[in-house]
Amino acid sequence: MTTEPTREDVILEIDDIHTYYGAIHALKGVSLNVRAGEIVTLIGANGAGKTTTLRSINGLNQPRDGRIRFQGRDITSVPSHQVVKMGIAQSPEGRKLFPRMSVRENLEMGAFQRSDRKNLREDLDRVYTLFPRLSERKNQKAGTLSGGEQQMVAIGRALMARPKLLLLDEPSMGLAPIFVEKIFEIVREINEQGTPILLVEQNALMALETASRGYVMETGRIALADEAKALRQNEQVRKTYLGEGA
Amino acid sequence: MLVGLIVVWLLVNFFKDPSEFAAVFLIGLTNGTVYGLVAIGYTLVYGILQLINFAHGDVFALSGLVSFTVLVDWLGVTPADSTAVAVGGILFTLVVVMAVFATVNVTIEFVAYRRLRHAPRLAALITAIGMSFIVQNVGLALYDVDFRSASGLIPRTNVFEIGDVSYTWNKFMVILITVPVLVLLTWFVASTRHGKAMRATAQDRDAAAMLGINVNRTISVTFALAGALAAVGGVLFLTQFNMRYDTGFELGLIAFTAAVLGGIGNLTGAVLGATLIGLIQAFNEGLAWHAPGSDWTRSIVFGILIAILVFRPEGLLGERTPEGA
Repeated sequence: MTTEPTREDVILEIDDIHTYYGAIHALKGVSLNVRAGEIVTLIGANGAGKTTTLRSINGLNQPRDGRIRFQGRDITSVPSHQVVKMGIAQSPEGRKLFPRMSVRENLEMGAFQRSDRKNLREDLDRVYTLFPRLSERKNQKAGTLSGGEQQMVAIGRALMARPKLLLLDEPSMGLAPIFVEKIFEIVREINEQGTPILLVEQNALMALETASRGYVMETGRIALADEAKALRQNEQVRKTYLGEGA
Repeated sequence: MLVGLIVVWLLVNFFKDPSEFAAVFLIGLTNGTVYGLVAIGYTLVYGILQLINFAHGDVFALSGLVSFTVLVDWLGVTPADSTAVAVGGILFTLVVVMAVFATVNVTIEFVAYRRLRHAPRLAALITAIGMSFIVQNVGLALYDVDFRSASGLIPRTNVFEIGDVSYTWNKFMVILITVPVLVLLTWFVASTRHGKAMRATAQDRDAAAMLGINVNRTISVTFALAGALAAVGGVLFLTQFNMRYDTGFELGLIAFTAAVLGGIGNLTGAVLGATLIGLIQAFNEGLAWHAPGSDWTRSIVFGILIAILVFRPEGLLGERTPEGA
């Protein structure tokens, strides 16, 4: 009867959340959702609240108002270590690797909360297949890797949690164009293997080419929400985020 | 230049009287291990919170006083008892006091530091100094100004004797207890789940939380370990020396210097720094030929602290970090 997605399709549902940094009202009523199998992107300028939205989801900065539901369960006030256990893993902005641990140790830390540790070997192999370069450097200290390689470790580490939803925060930040292409290729590949992804990006062009739907954030609010294709055509978006002159 | 002079001074002392040199070396090694147990507590907590827990030295002193209560008042162990009774009493006291001061230290973090974790560092530092006074004055209130000691429980018979040099069981016990404790600690940090969580939290707290590590619990585990190690130090100190409520102030500063010397945040560094400080103190106070003497010990130890902070703030084994500490 209807083409609207059924409720079971929606795995992450954010409903009108308000999040504060101390006295600063950082998110002023953000709503968005991610459905099974999708790549959804969240774009916007620096300071618009993209990272804060992710920190609200994974419990590092819990919203004061509003609701976040994951697979139908309310996770608004669930502490972050339990959110991860429920299946939300993140590759954070700025990578945030453990610099004095080896690549392999970093990846293994990604599986920290998993109780089924017997498939660890298999999952490591999966990450090494996605990123053959990491397999060459598995015993190297993470702090000594190049930016692109560190980004691979950060994504690989998040995958080691076998997430049901993957949050990627600025995976292309500070990378050479050739690495940016490569990273987005892998993001698509991970998604094709079945993991839904919420992708936060400043590189709006690449993000909108990769995602199926997108949200545009402006100063703590969702300004626009549409199919990625439609957003690419949107004049406002083209001017502000795709760097096209008026 | 300075190092050269010190080496020459040590060599001259060594050749003038090798047996005295060896005896002094062994004393330094023993004292250094006690400093090490306390220094590790500073370094563990600094590594994970970037907080200098000034209360740590006082926790150590209070643990020593409480172990006097357990060992002498409750168990009634005296020098007249057999060695077996003394050893059993000391081990039992160790277990009790470690458990108590692990709990005390966890409580200190929970009450005084946890809420200040996102506050400016100065706030936490001042709280740590306040906590130091509180713990010290609890010691004063409970134990008054009198010195306590349980030395002489372990006989001063020789473990070995080479020429004039002898090493007594009384001193050797310190090493005999400390080494397994350090081995266990190293294993815990390197190989257990809690240990991995500690290392991850120390290197990047947010990332650790994102991977499902319970950061609060991990920090509690760290304080528990630091408290238990301070208690081992307290028991051992009590079996060697006199101590009272304010013993922890100076010993805490010495141990802190040792942690900085080794590279704060670095476990091996803390033990290395403590051993060096123990040796420096022993050489200074024990060698006969032109040693400055015990009046200068404090000036030398804290002179070292200043010299490291100025010339090598990352310490002997620490890594240079962007923040410089």
